Amino acid sequence: MKKVKTVFKYIFLIILTLLFLFPLIYMLIGSLMPNEEIVSMLDFSKETYKSIKLIPDAFTLDQFYQVFFRRAQYLLKFWNSVIITFPTVIGQVVVSSLAAFAFAKLRFPFRDKLFFVYIVLLILPLQVTLVPNYIVLDNLKLLNSFLSVILPGTFSAFGICLLRQCIKYIPDASIEAARIDGASYFRIFTGIILPQIRGGLITLTLLCFIDSWNAVEQPLIYFSDRSMYPLSIGLADIGNSDYGIIFACGVMFMIPPLLIYLYGERDIESPFTTSDKL
Amino acid sequence: MTRKRRECIAAALFLIPSFAGILVFYIIPYIICFVQSLFIGDSFVGFSNYISLFSNYTFTLALKNTVIFTVTAIPLLMVVSFLIALFLNSFKRLNSFFRSAFLIPVVIPVASLIVVWQVFFEDYGAINGFITSLGLPKIEFFDSWFSMLMIIFIYVWKHCGFCVILFTAGLANIPEAYIESARLDGAGPLKIVTRIKIPNITPTIFFVFLMAMIYSFKIYREVFALFGDYPNEHVYFLQNFVNNNYYNLNYPRLSAASIILSVFIVAVLFVFFMLERKRNYLE
Repeated sequence: MKKVKTVFKYIFLIILTLLFLFPLIYMLIGSLMPNEEIVSMLDFSKETYKSIKLIPDAFTLDQFYQVFFRRAQYLLKFWNSVIITFPTVIGQVVVSSLAAFAFAKLRFPFRDKLFFVYIVLLILPLQVTLVPNYIVLDNLKLLNSFLSVILPGTFSAFGICLLRQCIKYIPDASIEAARIDGASYFRIFTGIILPQIRGGLITLTLLCFIDSWNAVEQPLIYFSDRSMYPLSIGLADIGNSDYGIIFACGVMFMIPPLLIYLYGERDIESPFTTSDKL
Repeated sequence: MTRKRRECIAAALFLIPSFAGILVFYIIPYIICFVQSLFIGDSFVGFSNYISLFSNYTFTLALKNTVIFTVTAIPLLMVVSFLIALFLNSFKRLNSFFRSAFLIPVVIPVASLIVVWQVFFEDYGAINGFITSLGLPKIEFFDSWFSMLMIIFIYVWKHCGFCVILFTAGLANIPEAYIESARLDGAGPLKIVTRIKIPNITPTIFFVFLMAMIYSFKIYREVFALFGDYPNEHVYFLQNFVNNNYYNLNYPRLSAASIILSVFIVAVLFVFFMLERKRNYLE
């Protein structure tokens, strides 16, 4: 009886996992199919129902060849994404960790009230802040430059919240000891805090990377020069006849976040498990 | 210099970068935005922009849809991810591969996934193929209230993984002794969940709620990718309203809508923080 139950549990687990992994598998397979096969599979104009094909009739790397060597516009868009994302991520990690340290470990007047203001302002959705930001960016003459997306993206409630949570688990005693030894607050921050919140930093890096990698609204509104659009917008613009290219670009587009994820996989859970830190 | 003063100065220095950003990109814009919402052209009109918004059909429609989405999708996401977390925790040893698999949907960019959703949900997509083969009428996912269901499904599917990780970590932190002693006192599995596990992970629940809320604003990206600028009336959200008025360059109306949306969110957050303060959940 117990054994049957375990078997069922594992079957359910595998089905559940497949449900979550399916798009990844599907994109990979699609990117290796010849274009005609994908088009016939995805042609929505014909009055037949689509079936999901997971075993390609033929195997080809032509799509990737096209994307990497024949049609430079997609690579260019990819690099636009890189130019937008990397500074945003670095900026956000630095700014958030500095503020998180102050909110978690330093005592100063109005600390909790100020924290509330921070969170409320930073949590406001993009759609609300886009317009006010547009006005300011216009006055700063930053519109139509990559900075208009990078600068506002540097500040996030999530980063401060997450890192504050991690830093709180570091015992006060270790900070106090360093302080008595004459370490400055900045030394404490770089020497004691940062090494201990590795997991939190990697989680923030990944989630922030994904967020700004997917940015659609800001570039759409702040850039008037279409050649500056990142691949997240470019992918939606590819014509229906080029489904093969969509799959190949889609795969190319998800490689960087996946790599960061695989690199930090182990650490991502650690900021939330407190047992080993208490 | 006293220790207290030194600590204050240090805190100020640590906060300068983020505060400068918040001042330039949040506080100043909001002041400008609020002032603009009180004018039409050059004449001061008080709150009439706000009043006219509430008699505007598209705005009330967008507001209604946003509220429906928020009150159904967020609790659903929390319940589903909690159940999956309980399920995962019931395994004695589990390869970390399974837990990480749940994070894949977050990692895959929105734009990469459109094709997959289309294959599933189009009028002649795989799901309709399956439904009609059972002899049932086909569902127009892109042009009926099923659009809302589809968006809610995508939202839950996508953000489930991260919430599951938060919940499993929270559950793993409950001392085994609590559960053991409850079991010895004769508590059944359901009672252990409701009386021991849920009360012991309230900080996690609050954090997940916060995350779910942040994510719920981002659903616009999927709506945009699937429906374009003008989705059908079942998935026309406030974000769509703001964006479309942006293209019309209707600044006063836009500013008023932004302010209303912000006030709504601030009110929800305020209640949230009051509760947190009372119970000290996040500490």
